[in-house]
Amino acid sequence: MDARRHPEGMNPADQANEQKHIAQAKAGDAEAWGELYRQYAPAIFRFCRRAMPTREDAEDATMDIFIKVRQKLSQYDSSRPFGAWLYTVAANHCWDLLRRRKGRQDLETGEIENMPLEHPDPGQLEQLIERSTSQQVRRALDQLPARARMALVLRYYADMSYDDVAATLGVRRAFVGVVLLRARHQLRDILGGRRAMAGGAT
Amino acid sequence: MACLLYLEGQLERPRAREMALHVGECATCRTLLHALESESRVLTSALTEENESMPARLLSTRGWSMPSWVWTLAFGAFAAGAYWLWADTVDPWLQQLSNAGFGGTDFVSLLFFSGAFWEGWSPMIEVLQIAALVVVGIAAIGLLRRRFRRPTAIGVMMSAMALALALAQPAAATEIRRDESVLVPATEVIHTDLIVSGTSVRIDGTVEGDLIAFTGMLIVTGHVTGDILAFAGQMRMEGTVDGNIRVMSHTVAIDGAVGKNITYIGNSLDLTEKGQVGGSLISVIGEADLDGHIHRDLLGIIGRTHLDGGIGGQMWLRGRNLAIGSKGEIGGPATFRGLRQPVVASGAKLASPLRIERQGESRRMMFSGIRLVVNEIVGFGAALLLAVLLVTVLPGFFRATLRETGRIGLPIGVGALALVIGIFLLVLGILLIFVGVGVGVAGVLGYAPILYVAQIFVGAWLGNKILGEVSDPTIAVVGRIALGLLILHVAGLIPVLGGLMWLTVALWGTGAVLLGFYRMSRAEAVPLPA
Repeated sequence: MDARRHPEGMNPADQANEQKHIAQAKAGDAEAWGELYRQYAPAIFRFCRRAMPTREDAEDATMDIFIKVRQKLSQYDSSRPFGAWLYTVAANHCWDLLRRRKGRQDLETGEIENMPLEHPDPGQLEQLIERSTSQQVRRALDQLPARARMALVLRYYADMSYDDVAATLGVRRAFVGVVLLRARHQLRDILGGRRAMAGGAT
Repeated sequence: MACLLYLEGQLERPRAREMALHVGECATCRTLLHALESESRVLTSALTEENESMPARLLSTRGWSMPSWVWTLAFGAFAAGAYWLWADTVDPWLQQLSNAGFGGTDFVSLLFFSGAFWEGWSPMIEVLQIAALVVVGIAAIGLLRRRFRRPTAIGVMMSAMALALALAQPAAATEIRRDESVLVPATEVIHTDLIVSGTSVRIDGTVEGDLIAFTGMLIVTGHVTGDILAFAGQMRMEGTVDGNIRVMSHTVAIDGAVGKNITYIGNSLDLTEKGQVGGSLISVIGEADLDGHIHRDLLGIIGRTHLDGGIGGQMWLRGRNLAIGSKGEIGGPATFRGLRQPVVASGAKLASPLRIERQGESRRMMFSGIRLVVNEIVGFGAALLLAVLLVTVLPGFFRATLRETGRIGLPIGVGALALVIGIFLLVLGILLIFVGVGVGVAGVLGYAPILYVAQIFVGAWLGNKILGEVSDPTIAVVGRIALGLLILHVAGLIPVLGGLMWLTVALWGTGAVLLGFYRMSRAEAVPLPA
């Protein structure tokens, strides 16, 4: 299990303990729910912080996600990893919020459809990667359109499969690669400027 | 494209094999794959680095169970209150409407001060007891289930308050009498305060303290050295009260001497020729016959006033009719604001000319159709301006309150509870506090802005539902509020339904605003509602 989904690490004892808390929380035990919240809230907040445009949005989204999760806890299938389920709820919630912001969505689609599907020049890409700090990458991510940012966050932060990304974004699975590729293109554009990234291999 | 899919393990097996062979031979693609892999690592690393701390309001897990308690308490109390209102006030009132004997114009008095509600307080106390016990029971279950926590403490505190109100536990120096009919005979002297309830109460003796009465009929022919605080169907005072009288009653007759002030909310007051008020008379009533003497001021909102007695100080009156008889005397400035021209008999003695402020025809125009529409437009504009102010100056509060508005049931429950408690405190404030009217008015003035702001949040919620949610671009937020408010104000013009809609909006929005205040005040300590 990926450490991002279980930020405090997950050995078998932890997993058993988590399942116990989930069962208790399902039965209405506020303490057990508090325990789950303490364990996952930081990771979900960071996820929201990456997915949503502002910190305030992320705070609100985190609160709403946990409200939703608590209400839906009885629907959780304990054969699935809890973290994965939580991320699915969080991703759906954030994407739902972003989709409702129609103005932004409309602005984004026109531009992304024109992005090239070719890969960049490998040498220039390596240079760009070497030059860019994590902070610069995060800033560039913040400037991405909602869908591009969400796709990258789902794939590279939440470690979701292409199937899950497709389900969350409401696109065909075959289109996920295109979305990711275009999102990376846009990210490079922001990081290094369009001219530097022109041309490339197949 | 293929390189990324290959790197991420998304190619079909045969295509992946082909790709592996190609990469083995093509240096450019190898370099590209390496670069893409590095890019993926950089992306993951940038995304997962903990560069921002968790906000304080998300850190604490205290209060997780509170909202369910708020739900329970709010709806429990509201259900009990609604049942009580229906069973003890509305239903009997409807049945007794024909016998009420009130003019249709005196609607407020008719609504609040007639019917079974005022025919006896005992049934009401019993209903309160039941409601309190239900709340106590709910709190006790919570207390036994889990260890003591803040929400439970709130539950217990509210229950205890309700119980204290319902049972009215005796103070050490207070005598309590409760019976179908209570009589304090002329020979009896009670040396403490007296709290008394029953269908009828008669005080012929002496109470050396305050008299607090909950009754259908209160008659005082004896002597009360302190104040009288009464909630009664009818009250008649023929004796002597050294302190104040504060009363809510259908009718009050004063045929004796009151040392200090009278504060009266109800339907009719009869101050007979023998009646004396040492201080001032402050009242909100349907009609008053004032034949006795008020040594200081008369301040009142009185539908019909007939003054044939004396007022030592000033008079300020608002109402429909005023008639001053030939025996009428006013020692200070006198002001009357009303619909009709007051009638002043020739023998009346006024220290200064009566100042008259006519409401007259223009007032009636207020309710004409065009005026109503203009009012709605002005109201809409004012609300929108206030909304813009809220969104720009208090964005955090706006967002918190809007989020609470979206919960619908909870804010409506809290709003209803706040209204019931607010009315109770207002009435209590007016009756218990010496300068009660001022405090009561101040209370209303404090509550009014919240009621006004309520529509903004319901409007914003409505706008969001129609146009989709936004939170960032302020113009878009204001646009949604404008749409929501417009719908509310247009719907508000519909007779009856419009009124019901505004009532719902007031309860809903008030609850949301109160919850918003609560969330903001606890922003650093309480994380999430459930």
